[in-house]
Amino acid sequence: MAPLAAFVLAATSVRTRRSAANMAMLGAVVALLTSMLTAWGLTKRSTPFIDTHPYFNISVAFSGPTNFQGFGIDIILRVDHLSAIAMVVVELCVIGVLGWHRVMGRAEPGPARFYALVSVFLFGALGALVSRDLAELFAFWGLAGGTTYLLLAHRWSSNDASRTARVALALPFLTDVCLLCGVAVLYSRYGVQDLNGLQPILHTTLGTGPKALAVASVLLFVGVAGRMALWPLQSWITRTSVTSPPAASAMVQAVWSVVAIVVLYRLMPVISASSAQTMRGLLYACGAAAVAGPLLALFGNEPRRVIALAGTGTAAIGAAIVVRGFQDPGFTFAVAGVACVLAAAPARAAAVMAASAFAAAMRTDDMAEMGDGWRRMRASSSALLVAGVVLALSASGALAYAVESQSRLGFALGEAVLLVSIAVLRVFMGVATGPLRRRRAFEPDRVREAPTEALGWPYWLAFGGAVLAVASLVSGWMGFLDGQRHAAAAPRAFGLWAGVSAIGFVAVWIAFRVSKDGALRASGALGDWLDSVVSSVIETLGRRIDAPTAAAVARVGEWIYAGDSNLGRAATTSGRLALVLARVHASAPALLILVAALLALAVALLTPGLYR
Amino acid sequence: MILSLAAIAQATPSPASVPGANVFTSPLLLSLVIWVPVVVGVAVATMPNPRGRYDVLMKQIAFFTNLGLLFVLWIAYNQFATFLPTMQFEEKVTWLPAIGAVYHLGVDGTGMTMLILSGLVGLASVLASWGVRERVRSYFCLLLLTQACVNGAIVAHDMFVLLLFWGASVIPIALLVLGWGGARRESAVWRLVGYWGLGTGSLLVATMIVYAASGSTSFDMDVLLKAGLAPRVQLAVAAALIVAAATRLPLFPFHGWARDVYADAPPGVALIVAGSASRLGAYLLVRALIAADPDASRLLSPILAGLAVLTMVFAALAAVRAVDLRAAGGYLAMVPGGLTVFGLAALTPLSIAGSILSLFSGGLAAALIVGGCATLSERAQTRSVQLLRGLAPRMPVLSWLLVIAALGLIGVPLLASYPAEAMIFFGSFRSQPAGSFAVALALVLVAAVVAVVLHRILLGSPNPDAPAVSDASLGEAWYLGLLAGALLWVGLFPGGPKLPGTEQVVFDPGLLNVMSAGLTDIASAYAGPNPASSP
Repeated sequence: MAPLAAFVLAATSVRTRRSAANMAMLGAVVALLTSMLTAWGLTKRSTPFIDTHPYFNISVAFSGPTNFQGFGIDIILRVDHLSAIAMVVVELCVIGVLGWHRVMGRAEPGPARFYALVSVFLFGALGALVSRDLAELFAFWGLAGGTTYLLLAHRWSSNDASRTARVALALPFLTDVCLLCGVAVLYSRYGVQDLNGLQPILHTTLGTGPKALAVASVLLFVGVAGRMALWPLQSWITRTSVTSPPAASAMVQAVWSVVAIVVLYRLMPVISASSAQTMRGLLYACGAAAVAGPLLALFGNEPRRVIALAGTGTAAIGAAIVVRGFQDPGFTFAVAGVACVLAAAPARAAAVMAASAFAAAMRTDDMAEMGDGWRRMRASSSALLVAGVVLALSASGALAYAVESQSRLGFALGEAVLLVSIAVLRVFMGVATGPLRRRRAFEPDRVREAPTEALGWPYWLAFGGAVLAVASLVSGWMGFLDGQRHAAAAPRAFGLWAGVSAIGFVAVWIAFRVSKDGALRASGALGDWLDSVVSSVIETLGRRIDAPTAAAVARVGEWIYAGDSNLGRAATTSGRLALVLARVHASAPALLILVAALLALAVALLTPGLYR
Repeated sequence: MILSLAAIAQATPSPASVPGANVFTSPLLLSLVIWVPVVVGVAVATMPNPRGRYDVLMKQIAFFTNLGLLFVLWIAYNQFATFLPTMQFEEKVTWLPAIGAVYHLGVDGTGMTMLILSGLVGLASVLASWGVRERVRSYFCLLLLTQACVNGAIVAHDMFVLLLFWGASVIPIALLVLGWGGARRESAVWRLVGYWGLGTGSLLVATMIVYAASGSTSFDMDVLLKAGLAPRVQLAVAAALIVAAATRLPLFPFHGWARDVYADAPPGVALIVAGSASRLGAYLLVRALIAADPDASRLLSPILAGLAVLTMVFAALAAVRAVDLRAAGGYLAMVPGGLTVFGLAALTPLSIAGSILSLFSGGLAAALIVGGCATLSERAQTRSVQLLRGLAPRMPVLSWLLVIAALGLIGVPLLASYPAEAMIFFGSFRSQPAGSFAVALALVLVAAVVAVVLHRILLGSPNPDAPAVSDASLGEAWYLGLLAGALLWVGLFPGGPKLPGTEQVVFDPGLLNVMSAGLTDIASAYAGPNPASSP
């Protein structure tokens, strides 16, 4: 409630930039303190804290199956170990980003609006983390989704921002509707939308087949994958990574990855009850997303877009491990996937903030025009390096616990780790090494480090991510998160997965040492090619689907207007005719028949389509 | 005047549901909400007003009449017995015994929900009309008569009375559009009269068929709608009712009036048409089809579902192509009607409940989007979507209200449309899975269109060639804020606000609780078989 209270106060009484920032920060800090208090309380007990408030409850029928005779949504807040840690991570990310934005976002318009929206966003995200009722979950999810769009579209006066923000509304809304449909399919079959009540009856309810469960599972997964920005649903994050306020982009990427992976983990008992084929399909989807996301990061030279794509790769690795964990009943390391994303989230935010500091200082979003950051912006370069390394290594622990390196999944996820490592180090090498060339209206000597007050926040977040990444190597941490006992992974496995990342780092280092310009030229050319392909696909879709559909709608609309106008004219004419005939004292039945015949003739002739 | 009329009232038998209930009661509550606007309207029309000297007074009279009506409705809402399935606040007076017409009024939960909607929209429409300067006396007289007709159609429990108010509502609206409308007002009026006339004719046909086929001697709904009819007759009646509802709501392809009326009516009139008068279509379906004729409803539900999906898709695509902002708003205002009808077509208790809530939330969202577009067009001095750009920084209040309207259309949580949408979806996936997916996709399309339209006009760099703009005035902000506030309030507290830790409701018994009175009677006919009782 603290973020909501902060929003209400901000919306009703706060006008200045500083007071709005303080209010949002206060709400986030209070939420963090209470979450930490809750987490501390949970260390003493194994059962979760549960609080229930009825939202509404109505009776809709007095006959039929009892579970469909009434409907209600209860606000069930259930805080277990995993939720508490996820809340702490989310709050840390928001606090770090807010602190950074206070300094670096001074030029952003509408500060009161921005900070108020951050408070609502945090409220929605925290609510989604602790929800057990699926309708309640969707309410918080949708609230956070709505504010996400408003945050990403924050720069109202910018044409680019407004154009890209359309995607940030439409695409996630599509996946959110999938989530809603998934919940609706489950409710329509079982009459229950509480996760605790749903799990025991998944296989015992009469008249519910596996097909419905499979459909619901796929819909739920798509809903979660959309907000996790897994490939091919990542464009709402990548397209807004440059045009939206950096703080909004950083926060959205970090927070949504945590919320979505926790929700996926909660939904997995339902999804895993569907069928083996469904689970296999979802695992393949996660594997493909884990490779395709960071692979796309090699195309193009926009640092924030590259980090966003690398981040989606890490999130996909986490999702794959979660799905894999529930595929096999004896397998207990699903929570390792969550731990991986928990570690990556602060690092993602830190990397986006550091990269934004470079973009602001060097006044470009093209790595080919950046360079010399290590000398000119040492602190931001270090933060970017640390955040990138943490992002690349965050999956090592989870992979060591959960995936055999020689399996097909291990091969795919190893490839993903390699690509993530290449992507993040590429950004560092692109901005920190090589010369910073003079450009039109740009003097390299005027490049300065970010203000001192803003420098610490990316470090702190990267440090937090590093701590969580190290914790994910410890089996006790997994045990704390899911309340089960886990065997420790072999140190050799950690070394293997860390080695994969190291190979990626070395490959980038060699490539950039040999020819930074060549490497960036190649990725730039690939990026241009990808842009042209995407443009041509969009153009083709517009030509083949959008334009004909719009033309058909226009034709139908005009046809109806023309038709009713003609009908009206025909009716008027027939009425006048009837009056004329009435004056000549014709008999009533004859008059009616004549009018009806004339009316029919007029309609037939004048209605467009027949007349022409 | 309302206070003095109600002061002669006696206590109703309704139990006190919230603190403060029964403080002020009247057995003539429903007559008050119909006839007070009529009396005040006639009084306003006959008052001398030399050279517009008392224009402000006329506006104030209309405002306080609506405020008083809303107060009376609030009392009725608070006194409503949520546990009673029967009609409440009933009034029954023999009117035309020769044909069996009875002045029979009454409301169940659905009717009460509609009345509250009508009260809110009525007040908002007066505020939206504050800028009217020509023939103020006639304008507010007609506006009050419109509201009386809408209220009459809601509370009528006799088909003859319903038909009377249903048909009568066309006249003041048509005159308002004709007298105070925009450039294409004549075309708008002809279409309105044509389509709504067709709807009234269909309703008349349906009523007369039932009256004749059942051999009844009464138009009372309790008698007429419960008469046993042959299946073919049921089907014909149901088809006629669907046409009547489709012309009013409107549903594709009976939407011909919507573009012109929403685009060219004065803002206050467009608001009342979008918010409450057009919702009567879906309300008619609930009362006369879903509640009365389960067999025909089941038979025609695929057609209704198809019309609902087509309406949503067509409205979204037409809105994105519209070059007139008010026309785009008008098309978008058709979307909630499609969702409401789809919930009814799904024919499950939960989807029907969602549809009834959607009557309220959809009415508010439609009024908000139509009113918002009208006000924005006036403030920006142009309606051309091609000229309007980058308005958000220059008119933040209006922009926020438009964003809330757009979010209300697509059912974002915290707004009243979310519980309605959730109930419709949760209820419909079992009976109409394909239709549910289609409606879900249509909603996504609506979201995309809303994003495109809003971005086109609100965001981006301002157009230097466009006329100067100004933000909403206090009155405009108030009327749009009233609608947005109601959407938000019901979204936050659909079951009413409660004292923490107790079940004691404070100030508001909860729209969903009120709405559910009588709902089980309507919806139980569509409950599935009980597995425990099946062999």
